[in-house]
Amino acid sequence: MTAAPPRLEVRGLTKRFGALAANDGVSFDVAAGELHCLLGENGAGKSTLSACLFGLLAPDAGEIRLDGQPLNAATPAQAIAAGIGMVHQHFVLVPAFTVLENIVVGTGRGWRADLAGGRRRIADICGRYGLALDPDRRVADLSVGEKQWVEVVKALYLGARLLILDEPTAVLTPEESDRLFAIIRRLTGEGIAVLLISHKMREVLQSDRVTVLRRGRVVATVVTADASGDDLSRLMIGRAVAPASAAAPAAAGGEVLRLDRLVPDRAGRAGAPISLTLHAGEILGIAGVAGNGQDELLETLAGLRPPLAGTMHLMGLQATGLGAHALAERGVGYVPSDRFRDGLVPDFTIAENLLLGRQWQAAARRGPFLGAAQMRARARAAIADFAIAGGGPDTRSGRLSGGNAQKLILAREFAKARHLLLCNQPTRGVDIGATEFIHRELLRKRAEGCAIILASEELDDLLALSDRIAVMSGGSILGTFPKAGADLSAIGRLMAGQGGRAA
Amino acid sequence: MTPAAPHRWRIEVVRDATPRRRALSLAAVMLLALALCGLLLRAAGADPGTALAALVRGAFGSLNAATETLVRATPLIFTGLAAATAFRARVWNIGAEGQVFAGAICAYGLSHGLAGLSPLVQLPVVLAGAMIGGAAWAGLAGLLKTACRVDEVISTVMLNYIIVYVLSMLLLKGPWSEAGGFFEQTAKVDPGSVLPVILPGTRLHLGFALALLAALAMQVLLARTPLGYEIRGAGSNLRALSVQGASAARILILVMILSGLLAGLAGATEVYGVHGRLKAGAITGFGYAGIVVAILGGLRPWGVVGAAIFFGALVNGGTYMQIKTGVPSALIYAFEAIILLACLAGWAAAGLRIRKVADAV
Repeated sequence: MTAAPPRLEVRGLTKRFGALAANDGVSFDVAAGELHCLLGENGAGKSTLSACLFGLLAPDAGEIRLDGQPLNAATPAQAIAAGIGMVHQHFVLVPAFTVLENIVVGTGRGWRADLAGGRRRIADICGRYGLALDPDRRVADLSVGEKQWVEVVKALYLGARLLILDEPTAVLTPEESDRLFAIIRRLTGEGIAVLLISHKMREVLQSDRVTVLRRGRVVATVVTADASGDDLSRLMIGRAVAPASAAAPAAAGGEVLRLDRLVPDRAGRAGAPISLTLHAGEILGIAGVAGNGQDELLETLAGLRPPLAGTMHLMGLQATGLGAHALAERGVGYVPSDRFRDGLVPDFTIAENLLLGRQWQAAARRGPFLGAAQMRARARAAIADFAIAGGGPDTRSGRLSGGNAQKLILAREFAKARHLLLCNQPTRGVDIGATEFIHRELLRKRAEGCAIILASEELDDLLALSDRIAVMSGGSILGTFPKAGADLSAIGRLMAGQGGRAA
Repeated sequence: MTPAAPHRWRIEVVRDATPRRRALSLAAVMLLALALCGLLLRAAGADPGTALAALVRGAFGSLNAATETLVRATPLIFTGLAAATAFRARVWNIGAEGQVFAGAICAYGLSHGLAGLSPLVQLPVVLAGAMIGGAAWAGLAGLLKTACRVDEVISTVMLNYIIVYVLSMLLLKGPWSEAGGFFEQTAKVDPGSVLPVILPGTRLHLGFALALLAALAMQVLLARTPLGYEIRGAGSNLRALSVQGASAARILILVMILSGLLAGLAGATEVYGVHGRLKAGAITGFGYAGIVVAILGGLRPWGVVGAAIFFGALVNGGTYMQIKTGVPSALIYAFEAIILLACLAGWAAAGLRIRKVADAV
């Protein structure tokens, strides 16, 4: 390893957007056969760096070498030709195509794709790295984990010597995630270098070395075995993490929500009936892998999809089948899981987004017009209270980073949630600093006597915050644990669930 | 990758183009468009300088020319506002053409029985009729979309054809045909229903003032009212708006009604401000031109006014250019298309830049 040049060598890479240096003199290297992790908060420059490597952005200065050869990829096609493969967080596959077609598409000479040859090579690659992938299945029929394998095989098919994985486990079950890491280890065993972008400590700790980015600069590159998770967190955010944790349960308040055999609509199919009660000042955690009915349950409770059967009572009053507007009026706040799709209007300013849902209320208006001064004052207060960085009241919210966008949504929904707050994956894709902040705010809201339903894939979050934890799988609640007696392995088994997804 | 070259050029996306960048880029492509138009004129056998000078003289050279330009711009302001309002909400109303017809038909239908009454009675009926007709015709497409999921592009285009033939049916030996007339048109409308001239000695009529008023109203509505807020929000992320309790169907219908109402007014200004009788030739083409005007105006009310006056000037000046230089005035439509394409290219180009990249070799 000392004689040969490293697989990837980055020297003094700088990329500026206007006055902001997204990458400022970044230098690090990845050896052949190494699993190297790129760790950093949102906005630390990880995405910019990988975009520069993959030819999506042109660096302003600096040098990238692949096996000692200078790489100056101006397009992804050139980066691929040079031997870089990238698996994006959001897969780029054609659902209607088979696995084989997805992998071979665009690789043929001229107009023809060499399907037979492709089939042989795919079988080859799968055999070598221990992947079970049927080339003739339609990608639409695959599980999320399998789709990711297709992306990996596709990169290898194209001859990748350096594989970049961008937050690969965000959508996987713990089991699928373990399998992915087993595959990554076989890849590195064969001499392929893997650059993993992640901020999940559990995964980061499995790497060989970690390069920590903060505000566009490399803080340190450390051998993983020599560092603890706390060390790395400290490097990443520049100070020690103070984990929020639930105080003793607030005095059990009155009943806020009662569901009696409520059946959410799961894309035309009936889900399992769900019964539960929730009290003021209580956080009910919902554990489960994404796509197991949490979205449907929370959307039903928020009034976005009418239930197929059953009843829902809010503050003792019948609330079954009420629409989003009516429920919001009754004091329900809803933080959707896909914040950019469901939570924000990107062309609106921060002030305008805070108004969302209340635009017709008399309190928001002066005569027929929206109260502009009032909107701005409210926005200034929210920006201060929720530490929204990156703009003022008149900043377009589409320019906010994921964490700040989430804080903006929280500011709006907390104000609406007088009685019940529904939070779906509030910390997904959010960095540690913002996660910490969101946790503290949730606990503050709880102390104010709000009832909270918190769906999250991060068991650590749920254990820190919830008073009770319900586990969802396949659309039904398989069990509910008081926090005191929560048994991680039992919860994990339930999450994997009966009739679990093909993996 | 050639080792000889110390650097190479590449095109990059600029994240937030500054207004100055946009203006520069637009100015550059406009010069290019001017050059292309000049080439066309040359090909048509005219000296481009003389022809363009004639064009400008014809459009703005005298009080008469300038007001005539504004008369031409008036219906385009209305249809441009109609298209801009719908497009801002990402509602693809391609039916302003038919809504102009519907507005004119409804205005005529409600008012032609009032002949002899005071203008104070007739004018409000004419204007209200135009708005009701346009709004109803557009609202129909909105209903088809919300109730039956018919794509509004399809329904509005189809409704355009229907209304054109409805008018033909009414005028060709129909109840409204001019008595003893040979053409497909009504008799002259009652003088009490004609939109008064606002600048004596010219043809500039009340419709132009109403068009400016409509632009002002749309500007205020979009920027400052809850409905405008929902229209802009729907154009950016309708889903987030519905998650927060707004009704997508309601927004769609309201946008359609608003858009159709504006288009309908164009029908009234042409019939009651310019031609004095209802006939297809008086009201054809403004709806489709309005789409171009809206895009050229950046979907903003004052931008629409500017673009409409610009198009009015082209059409008006084109006639004079034909008289002066013999270049067919139909060339004007080629100019319009060149300018629209140039603007679109300019906006796209403002989001890109060419940069020198140092080669690592």
